[in-house]
Amino acid sequence: MSKNFYHYPVWVRLWHLTNAILCLFLIVTGFSMLYSDPDRALVVKFQRAVSIHNVCGVLLTISYTAFLIGNIFTENGRHYLVAVKGMAERLWKQARYYGFGYFKGEEAPFPVTGTRKFNPLQQVSYVGVMYFILPMLFVTGWALMFPEFILKRFLGFSGVFLTDQFHVILGFLVVVFLCIHLYVSTMGKSPLSNFRSIITGWQESH
Amino acid sequence: MAIRKLLLLLFILSLLATPEATGQEPDTVKSVRGASNSLYAEDNENNCLVCHGRLVYSLTDTTTGTTRKQLMSEHNLVVPDMFYNSVHWSFSCLDCHSEGFKTFPHPLETRFESSWGCIDCHGYDPNYARYKFEEIDAEYQRSIHYTATEGLISCWKCHDPHYYNPLARQARGGREYIIRSNEMCLRCHGNSDVMGLINDENVSIVLPKHEWLPDVDRHMEAVRCIDCHTRMNDSVLVAHEVMPADSAVRGCAECHSQNSILMGTLYKYVSQETRVEKGFLNGVILRNESYVIGANRSKFISFTGMFLIGMTIAIAMVHTLFRIIIKRKQVVHE
Repeated sequence: MSKNFYHYPVWVRLWHLTNAILCLFLIVTGFSMLYSDPDRALVVKFQRAVSIHNVCGVLLTISYTAFLIGNIFTENGRHYLVAVKGMAERLWKQARYYGFGYFKGEEAPFPVTGTRKFNPLQQVSYVGVMYFILPMLFVTGWALMFPEFILKRFLGFSGVFLTDQFHVILGFLVVVFLCIHLYVSTMGKSPLSNFRSIITGWQESH
Repeated sequence: MAIRKLLLLLFILSLLATPEATGQEPDTVKSVRGASNSLYAEDNENNCLVCHGRLVYSLTDTTTGTTRKQLMSEHNLVVPDMFYNSVHWSFSCLDCHSEGFKTFPHPLETRFESSWGCIDCHGYDPNYARYKFEEIDAEYQRSIHYTATEGLISCWKCHDPHYYNPLARQARGGREYIIRSNEMCLRCHGNSDVMGLINDENVSIVLPKHEWLPDVDRHMEAVRCIDCHTRMNDSVLVAHEVMPADSAVRGCAECHSQNSILMGTLYKYVSQETRVEKGFLNGVILRNESYVIGANRSKFISFTGMFLIGMTIAIAMVHTLFRIIIKRKQVVHE
């Protein structure tokens, strides 16, 4: 018998929706900027991709600020506090469950409860993306709009070039995260239950 | 607890607050420019500009009293309105030109007066330190403009002091700035008569030499001549060490590749200057023309990134396959 928990209040759902739409636009325009040719656009024309990417980047910074404020002032922030002690063991348990236990019909080692929204793997990856990768993407993205603040040269390379490459690497990592995030979301009670949760706010335990 | 959270919030907001655009001196001078504010305007108008400020001037023979109208050569003409809108608007003509010009007809030696260079007034002045005139002058002295002409091609051949205004502030965007910057070069290099100043032989003009470039027109509109023809130095706003033609950049990959040379120069300059002029929204966000196609494309990063994405999707597909197989087995079992 599964239980339902109200883990996604309205503000989290609105932020998540905004975040998802902006990230999709940023990924599509980011790839267009990276791989367009002068005569052949990749999805979006190069110059238009630059404008859309910049607008979405600024909006994502604003939406991220709202997320940070929400996490500071509401209980949602608690889910992002990782207990370091015993972390390796918990991560291994969860990884083993995804790799083997899930197929053997074992019980999830860290099921959703009233106080637990994320399993250890989710928790670590969300913290990594939300508190490390995204802020670094913002810093590098804004720096590219204010290039005079970037070191002129570093290790023989142009500082702007290195900042840009770092931004691209972080962008690739976000795409990898998105793929994992979408796939793991299909591993709820049913393949669509987690997608329903982020719309209704109620998460099913399994 | 609430106070701690509030302090944390304030700290985060202070980090997010973007600093004001720096790197540009306050342009208070702009608002008071004009003949009406120049101490020397009247002096200039009554003396030098009587002739040099007009396309048609009157010349009187003081012995016979005969007066004749003449055309002023465009090379000796100073359009007053444009002069009073330039950065040097407040100067008297004789601040820069020799006293010999007070005599009319001008004595022959005035033809040989040596002009001031930018460095003579702006060098070693803390107010202009950000422009690094000293470094620009050192670059200029190493450039082909100086070494091949013994200094005949001075600062003024490109930057007319009578009309000078920073180029980026006049242009309406990155693309227009590039076109204007290139016009500066083409004033001489696009005109074989002017090129005759340094070479008596038949000097071919510059454009046909660029026909090897794919899509020449697009390149001329999107890249400054100096991006390929100067030695890169991103510590000055605009590089001034113009190299001999055979040392210019010719490889596509030098711009359209990782570590593009344009990232250190054109990108920085255009994005910085257009932001100051057009503001953050228009200059940086909506109409940012400083990006170059392919400038951030790295084969290694692309391959690694695509490999990671591909592997992630492949693992997810294999996992899905196992899920389907297990599910089917469970259904059959039940």
